[in-house]
Amino acid sequence: MNRRVSLPPWVGRLLACLGGSVVLAMMVGKQQGSKDDYGLAFREAVLNPRIFYFLLVGVLVFLGITYQDVVRRYAGRPGVRPLLAGVLILLASYFLMKWYDPLGDGKLATFGAAVTSTPAVAPVARIFFGWLWWVGLLVTAAATAAAIVWRLRWLAWASAAVSVLVGAIAVAAHSLAVSFAGGIDHSFGAQTALIGNLVLAGAGVVAAMSRVETARTREFVERVMAFRPGLPLVAMGVVLGVLALVAATWFDPGGKNLTLVDTQHLFAGSALSGVASAYLAWLGYAVFAVVVVLAATAVWTAQKTLGYVAAGGAVVAILVTLATLHDISATATKAGYPGSAGEWQNLGTGGWVLCIALFSAGAGGLIAARRAPVIAPEPALARGSGALGRLHQVGTSTTLLSLTLFGVGLALFYPPTATAFWQQALVTDIGVYVLLAIGLNVVIGWAGLLDLGYIAFYALGSYTTAYFTGSLPVQPPIHLSPLWAIPVAIAVCLIAGVVLGGPTLRLRGDYLAIVTLGFGEIIRIIAVNNPGDFTNGPRGVARAVPHPVIDLGFIRFEWGGSQLQYWYLLLVLLALVFLLFWRLEGSRLGRAWAAVREDEVAAQATGVNTTRVKLLAFAIGASTSGLAGVFFASQVGYFNPQNFILNNSILVVAFVVFGGMGSLTGAIAGAAVLTWLPDFLRDQVPSEDRIMWIGAVLIVMMIFRPAGLIPARRRKAELTGLAGHDPSVDQDLRAVPAGEGV
Amino acid sequence: MTQATTTADPDDLIFDVQDVTLRFGGVTSLQNVSLQMRRGEILAVIGPNGAGKTSLFNSLTGVYTPQEGQILLRARPGDQPVSVLGQKTHVVNHLGVARTFQNIRLFPALTALENVKVGVETRQKSGPVSAMLGLPWQRREERESTSQAYALLDRVGLAGRANELAGSLPYGEQRRLEIARALGTDPGVILLDEPAAGTNPAEKQELAALIKQVNHDGVGVLLIEHDMKLVMSVADRIVVLNFGSRIAEGTPEQIQRDPAVVAAYLGTSEEEAVAELDTHDQPELHVIDTSGGVTGAGSAGGPATGEEQA
Amino acid sequence: MSDFLNYLILGITRGSMYALIALGYTLVYGVLQLINFAHSEVFMSGAFGSYLVVHAIVGNGQGVSGLGAVFVIIAGLLSGAITGAAVAFLLERVAYRPLRRRGAPKLAFLISAIGASFFLAQLFGKMFNRLGQNQFPTYFDANKVLFTIAGAPVRLLQVIIIVAALLLMFFLDRLVSGTKLGRSIRATAEDAPTAALMGVDIDRTISRTFIIGGALAGAAGFLFGTAFVFTNTMGFIPGIKAFAAAVLGGIGNIRGAMIGGLLLGIAENLIPTAPWVSTAWIGIQWTDVVAFVILILILVFRPTGILGERLGRAA
Repeated sequence: MNRRVSLPPWVGRLLACLGGSVVLAMMVGKQQGSKDDYGLAFREAVLNPRIFYFLLVGVLVFLGITYQDVVRRYAGRPGVRPLLAGVLILLASYFLMKWYDPLGDGKLATFGAAVTSTPAVAPVARIFFGWLWWVGLLVTAAATAAAIVWRLRWLAWASAAVSVLVGAIAVAAHSLAVSFAGGIDHSFGAQTALIGNLVLAGAGVVAAMSRVETARTREFVERVMAFRPGLPLVAMGVVLGVLALVAATWFDPGGKNLTLVDTQHLFAGSALSGVASAYLAWLGYAVFAVVVVLAATAVWTAQKTLGYVAAGGAVVAILVTLATLHDISATATKAGYPGSAGEWQNLGTGGWVLCIALFSAGAGGLIAARRAPVIAPEPALARGSGALGRLHQVGTSTTLLSLTLFGVGLALFYPPTATAFWQQALVTDIGVYVLLAIGLNVVIGWAGLLDLGYIAFYALGSYTTAYFTGSLPVQPPIHLSPLWAIPVAIAVCLIAGVVLGGPTLRLRGDYLAIVTLGFGEIIRIIAVNNPGDFTNGPRGVARAVPHPVIDLGFIRFEWGGSQLQYWYLLLVLLALVFLLFWRLEGSRLGRAWAAVREDEVAAQATGVNTTRVKLLAFAIGASTSGLAGVFFASQVGYFNPQNFILNNSILVVAFVVFGGMGSLTGAIAGAAVLTWLPDFLRDQVPSEDRIMWIGAVLIVMMIFRPAGLIPARRRKAELTGLAGHDPSVDQDLRAVPAGEGV
Repeated sequence: MTQATTTADPDDLIFDVQDVTLRFGGVTSLQNVSLQMRRGEILAVIGPNGAGKTSLFNSLTGVYTPQEGQILLRARPGDQPVSVLGQKTHVVNHLGVARTFQNIRLFPALTALENVKVGVETRQKSGPVSAMLGLPWQRREERESTSQAYALLDRVGLAGRANELAGSLPYGEQRRLEIARALGTDPGVILLDEPAAGTNPAEKQELAALIKQVNHDGVGVLLIEHDMKLVMSVADRIVVLNFGSRIAEGTPEQIQRDPAVVAAYLGTSEEEAVAELDTHDQPELHVIDTSGGVTGAGSAGGPATGEEQA
Repeated sequence: MSDFLNYLILGITRGSMYALIALGYTLVYGVLQLINFAHSEVFMSGAFGSYLVVHAIVGNGQGVSGLGAVFVIIAGLLSGAITGAAVAFLLERVAYRPLRRRGAPKLAFLISAIGASFFLAQLFGKMFNRLGQNQFPTYFDANKVLFTIAGAPVRLLQVIIIVAALLLMFFLDRLVSGTKLGRSIRATAEDAPTAALMGVDIDRTISRTFIIGGALAGAAGFLFGTAFVFTNTMGFIPGIKAFAAAVLGGIGNIRGAMIGGLLLGIAENLIPTAPWVSTAWIGIQWTDVVAFVILILILVFRPTGILGERLGRAA
């Protein structure tokens, strides 16, 4: 047993790579097992010619690792990464995404075949869908690659130009073909293709302009952003706005797909209000132009006041746009226009995209205002708490801020254009889990406590709501509307968190994980077993939980008409929770959490009441989960214990870890991406495989990027191994860092 | 903290440790140790490795609870004496005892400023709700803690490093930052566990000055240190531990001449130690300075577990 | 009375399987101070691995003589153990070792382990069609009553499970206390840096510890699959209970894990069926809750368990 078999290291590496590709082969593919033939799935996955593709990938990875010096040299060239990103985006657009909803699977191949076989479609569209899409991809990708390898500056510029052209043609062709076909379309294929082509063009530009041998992407991006902070947002606003005003559908009763100009003709002489008529005729273009010019000037001259003016102008412009959209749909309905379905109905993407564009431009102005150069840099001591007390100022880059603001714009104005499926997904799959992830981030990310029973508080919140709205077999002493159940549910979860946390929080991390997991299961099993006929057992609630209502006497609003209403309620909740937690992170409690997480003994010796601090994290996390529970219960109406299985707890943990433990934006991004992806890949990946992929993602993240998608400044150093700062501890030999002893 | 007391009053005791015995399983880490720390003095505890110094510190700060004996604390002038035994560490800290660690224990992923603020803010009142709502008094406390933390960083000479991660500071600065963090809790007494370990001679001089300054400002200093030069230059009195027992106590001059102490450090009998003392002009430097590595006492000492866990 | 004995025997049967799984938790905890969350999936993989082999030997069942059945059972145990060992080995290499090299914080290990657990459970589900009710082919009369104790029947399968578990535990005990490998495991558990200085190859020892724990869990997977139905998610509940058993006996302590497993198996079967329990909370559907409550109570009130921690000292 002590005989050492020593193989050359590359053999092990090759075997590992090939093994990995076999596992990958098992992971990808359809569910094919059967009870009669247990080996079937394995044979189909592995003993099948397609295994060679996977082995090829494995060999490529092996070669990449073995000759990583060479690979690094080329991968480090300016433009390589944007090139890869652009190609991937385009592949996704051409093969995964929808181009036209009403037709079959709606993908490019299906739609393209229909377009090319219809002679009446505009020739540009027929050319694009016929051959230009793949020829364009091949030519631009190859040309950019060649330009990078041989450093041909002219070729890089040329391929960048061609890419932009192909992108523009893609959007135009799609628009033409869709208005010819006349169906209601919410697809993103064309827009994604445009983005992909722009990224490709970016690759060409970077390759052409760069004078250095190696690319530091992050620095490059930061330099671009720092050139004129806010400029990218304004540029994005211009692109989107022009598209919206010129090409997009504004009103589509009965699948007419009318652009802004067409809409104006349609409403000419109707009972449309003055502002809306003016908007359709000239005001729309005018406000857009004014906002963009203001924002651009503010950004270029770094004028603080002008920036705020631009942001304010954008708000006004958005309000006017919204009023017009409402007027259009309302007037058409009142006039009994054929196909018109009511207020806020039949609106195309145009108005909403213009809103996003205006928001983006305004946000650009805002950034310019906030990042306006300070005349004299103040000495560190004099700056006081304003700048330094908050950790956010230290860690937030302009890039992240821009992305976040753009994300807010999307969250506000994208959902109305989405299909019913996506609106549903946004609320039930994505939104609720984002809220849960923000709450769990407090527990895991900030206080460093692994809570595997987090969904139990969600269940408590849901059942509390059901109880107080009278939806359970047992009737409550007082009936409450779901909105009034919010404080009750939060209180219940707070108490439950303290009751569970009080005795258990002094346990070591792994024990705590198990205890919380046990707690989660106990809650679920109690819900299933239905003692005292309280929970109504596995069937779920007895009557539907009512929708929330705001009734102020003179104004009354009841949710439930559409998913959109819930989406905006959720956005308000999210914004509120985000704001509160953001303050909390920079407060003394946030620092105390970091201290306890980093070194509990030192924190105690510094006077931090570690038990109280941990309990607070636990309780705050629990009450957020309870809030999500209230929302969930009143939104779905019916729910049952199956909604609160352990898998869901693990999913939330995965979201937080993936996004970046301890980072608020990270938690949101992580939850949004990981909940969006399975829905997006619905056709490619069987939904049952979701957990498998998430598990794989967790392992890979922990190995290669433990700090997550958007790392928190406070967490990054710790997770990526600055832990080795203490040379006296031999980190190689212990699983537990020295700080977690005693 | 403001009251400057430079002369030690023998009856005004910060720590009154009476016959403390601490055991881990079968190993006795401290055996009937008594010591009195007077207000205003710098008291050093020395002894070979494994003598029980860090165990003593841990007993004083509530990390360990000795099985026998009593520890009374009057950290700030005018306080009633309180027993430390059985108190939680953070409570003892709130009673006015701050400490540093032998192997530096900062919060490496927080900035230097934030490290000190953690200390300062343990004396504040505002809770999570006021923080979330950004209420005025919470904002005021935030400003106060920042300015106090800056003042403390300035005091230990780290004002320019305020926004650097604590984990990325050089060793000597980490030591000073740890002292600043301890001072942030507004202590009546500060316990320094080998503050000079791993620092260079220039840093040691700065450290000595800092210790004296802190003491001058009215904070009692209890010091564990192997560097005898430092101990001799700053300490008003010295207590010597060996194998968990107190073997000597006195002024630096008395300790240098104490045969029992020399014997403990050399691992020899007292007679040999007396002989050794006679042959050298400056025995304290020659014999004691090397204590860290040379004597065999450390490896034989059972209480090593106590040191490790600290 | 016979009800009581029935549940007692059931408890011992289940408890001996918990003990086998708990040994894996305890061994790994001993050397790494880490709870191997994915251990339950190692157990599950043992059931599927042995199923493939047993199915290949006996087809859809019947027609195996008495001696043949013994052979099949041994083959099943072996193949389960080998599958479990292989999965545990790979698990350590992929999910833990890179983190150990980097000196990652404990939270990273836990998350990696959870990821591995879910990945394995669902990968097996994908490979084996996520059927909820897999069963081993019947190749012997598992329910034959061998003898009765005060009216409570003792069945053949129960005897097989208990005997097999006892044998495996006996071998493990000898292995850890009597061989060189056992000494290096104990040395690593006691003090890894010192053991490394003394010439113990830590990586290798950890790897082998995973293999041993995996083999035991894989064999338990075969026994469990033979006794009950098995699925890709079967690992979770027994895994968590085995962990509870390991803690009950004192995690890191081998004999503690054995005792803890038996105790937990008996307790979870006797407590909810005891006559003094009120009717609302009675019945077999509460066994899991009982196990979880026991777990929480031990962790809160006596986290060192019955026999105390440390593999090195108490093995």
